[in-house]
Amino acid sequence: MAPKTLLVELHSNFTVEGSTTTQFEMLPTQHQEHETIELTEGINDWSEIGFYIFTAEKSGNGVQWVGDHIRPRVRIPPRWHWPVGVSLSTEFGYARAAFSNPTWSWQIMPILDQTVGRWYWSVNGTMVWDIHVVPPPADFTPAQKHAYYTFVAPKGVTFGPAATLTYAPSKYFNFGVEYYSYYGQWGNFVPLHYQQQQVFPVVNLFVSPKWEINFGAGWGATAGTDHLIVKCIVGRYFDWSHHRVGSSESTQ
Amino acid sequence: MNRRRFIAQAGAALTGAAFTPFLPAWPQTPPDVSLEIASLALEIAPRKIVHTVAYNGRVPGPLIRWPEGKPIVIDVLNRTAIPEILHSHGLWIPSEMDGSSEEGTPMIAPGEKFRYSFIPRPAGFRWYHTHISAGHDFKRATYTGEFGCFYIEPKSEPGAYDQEVFLTLHDWNAYTSASGDSSMEASYEYGTIDGRMLGFGDPIRVREGQRVLFRLLNASASLTHWLALAGHEFTVVAMDGNPVPNPRATRAIRLAPAERIDAVVTMNQPGVCILGETREQLRKTGMGILVQDHNQQGKPKWVEPPETIWDYRPFASARPVSREPDEIIPLRFESKFHGQGALDTWTINGKSYPNTDEITLREGRRYRLQFINRSTDDHPLHLHRHTFEVTKVSGTPLSGLNKDVLVVPANETAEVDFTADNPGATLFHCHNQTHMDFGFMMLFRYS
Repeated sequence: MAPKTLLVELHSNFTVEGSTTTQFEMLPTQHQEHETIELTEGINDWSEIGFYIFTAEKSGNGVQWVGDHIRPRVRIPPRWHWPVGVSLSTEFGYARAAFSNPTWSWQIMPILDQTVGRWYWSVNGTMVWDIHVVPPPADFTPAQKHAYYTFVAPKGVTFGPAATLTYAPSKYFNFGVEYYSYYGQWGNFVPLHYQQQQVFPVVNLFVSPKWEINFGAGWGATAGTDHLIVKCIVGRYFDWSHHRVGSSESTQ
Repeated sequence: MNRRRFIAQAGAALTGAAFTPFLPAWPQTPPDVSLEIASLALEIAPRKIVHTVAYNGRVPGPLIRWPEGKPIVIDVLNRTAIPEILHSHGLWIPSEMDGSSEEGTPMIAPGEKFRYSFIPRPAGFRWYHTHISAGHDFKRATYTGEFGCFYIEPKSEPGAYDQEVFLTLHDWNAYTSASGDSSMEASYEYGTIDGRMLGFGDPIRVREGQRVLFRLLNASASLTHWLALAGHEFTVVAMDGNPVPNPRATRAIRLAPAERIDAVVTMNQPGVCILGETREQLRKTGMGILVQDHNQQGKPKWVEPPETIWDYRPFASARPVSREPDEIIPLRFESKFHGQGALDTWTINGKSYPNTDEITLREGRRYRLQFINRSTDDHPLHLHRHTFEVTKVSGTPLSGLNKDVLVVPANETAEVDFTADNPGATLFHCHNQTHMDFGFMMLFRYS
C-alpha cells in the first residue's frame, strides 16, 4: 500500500450451507451474512496498518457487531530486490463469543508471494494464539473438556495456512483459487474430519486504479467446514494527500 | 529479431563497405573533445556508492560548450564490455553522427574508439547520452551516469543574467515496482543533482540580488521531476534549448525525462535554500541541491510551493500556426499487458519496434504528427535530428513553442509540426527507457 493511501474494503460473506445448530453458545452459521469493513493505510514502502470492523446479520437477529481487529504489516521493501516477496502481518483483536471462539486472539502471518509473468502465488502460514477462549459448560466431564480444548477451543497456538494462485489474462482482471484452512493446535493437529479445508475459485477485477473487486465461492471439504460460502470484496483507494494526478505534489 | 540483436547486427553491418563513406578517418587530428566510457564507483553521499558507467570518470560528463556552426570532433573510447554509442540529443546532424544505431550510426565495440564529427546546430541547451537498450538490465543505458550537457553558443547572446548554472537530475539503482494500473515501472533508490544527493555536494554559491540562469536537464531514465527553490520564482525563458514566445514566472518546474528548461531566478531569499524535488519522498531520496548566499549560513530552508499543474500553453503563442502542414501523420500509442510482474510492451499504430511502420518523408515538406495516447502512462516523446513546433495541446491550438521532447499525458492527444529538412533516417521514440526498449520506437526515412 502506497504511503498516504487508504484502502477501504467491504467484505461480504454469505454462508449458503453451514452449521444449523447452536454449538457451545455459538450461533448457527447457515444463512449468516457477514459484513466486514477493512481499512488499510499505507505508512511507507515497507509497512502498513489495517483495521477490521466485523458485523453479522441473520434473519431474526438483525445486524450485530461482532468485533474488531488491528493488523500491522511489514514487508521487505521492493528496492531490496528479493526474488520473492516476504512480509509479516500480525493481527490482534476481539470478537464476541456468539460468533467466535476464542474471543481475544493474536495472529502472526508470515507471507511469501511472487509474480511470475501472468501468474501470482502467495502462501500465508497463519498462526493464532487463542488468548481467551470461552470455557466449556460446567457440567462437562474431564473427557468432554479434553475434547473441547482439542477440537473446539485449543488453548495454545493453532495453525491454519492459506494460499492463493491467480492468472492474469489482462491488467484488468485475474482469476484463480484461494485456499483457507484450520489444522488445529501446533503439534497436535485435529483429525482431518474436524479440520477446516476450504477452496474458493475467485475472480479479481481491477476496473480502475481506484477500485478493485473480488468474487468467490468457497467449498468446504470437511465436516468441520461450512460447506458453501459466497463472498465479494469491493475496495476503493483514497489518496489522503488530495493532490491532483500529475501535479507537483502527486506521485501518480 | 529483438532490439539488442538488431543493434548488434546493425553494428556489424556498419563496419562493412556500404557505410565506409560515413566513417571518419581515425585518428588524423586531435579531437576537440575526448570521452572515455568506463565503469565508475560514484559516491553520491558519504558511504553511498553507486556502481555505474560514466564519461571521463565523472557524473555528469564534461560540459561541452561549443560555438554554433563551428565543426567539432568528439572521440569516444569504449572501455566497457558491451557495445556503446553516443547520442547528441537535439542537434540537427547527420544520421551517421547522431548516435543511434537504428538510424545507422555505428556502435562502438568494447575497447574500440569512434570519432564523431559534425557541425553543431542549432544554438541552445542540448545534451549527450548513451543510446543503447537496457531491456531488463537496469544497470545499463540511461539508467547509468552516461550523460552530459552540450551547450551550443549562439552567435550573439543577450546574457541577461549574472551567473549561469548547469544542473542535471538523475535517478539511481532502478528496480521494478507495480504502478497503479497493475503494470510495472521503474522505481529508484536514490536521486541526485549533478551526481550528489541533497546536502552532500558543493552548494551553488550566489549573491543576494543576482540573476542566476539555471539550465536544468532531467537525465533520468524514466522519472519526471518537479523542482522548486525555497520560495523563489523561476522565469522560464527556454524549453529544450529553444527560447519560448512567452517567458513566464512559476514557483515549480516540471521536467520529464530528456526535457530541458532554462530559467532565470533572481536570488531574493537570503540564506541557504534547497533547490529540490517538490515531492517529499523523492526529495528524501536525494533529489536536491543547496543554494547558498556567500555571506549566509544556517539551516537549509525549504518552502513548499503551491501545488502546480504543468501546462505548456502559457509559454507558447496563443495564435494557431499560420502554415498548414502538407501531411498529417496520426500516431496511436498503446500498451500490451504481459502480467503483473512483467513490463508492458508498447505499440505505435498497433506495432512494436522493430516491426513498426516506417514513415517516408519528402524533403522540404511540412508534417504534422498527431500523438494519440491511448495508454494510462504519460509519454515524453522525442524526435531525433529535428526540432518540432507544438501546435496543439489538450485541444488548444498554439504556436511558437519549439521542442524536441513533448510530454503527452495519459489518454490525451497533442500535435506537433516539423519540416523535413535534415535528410537521413530519423528515430522517433518515447524517452522513457523501459518504453523505448519494449517497442515504443519507429523510424522516419527520407524518400
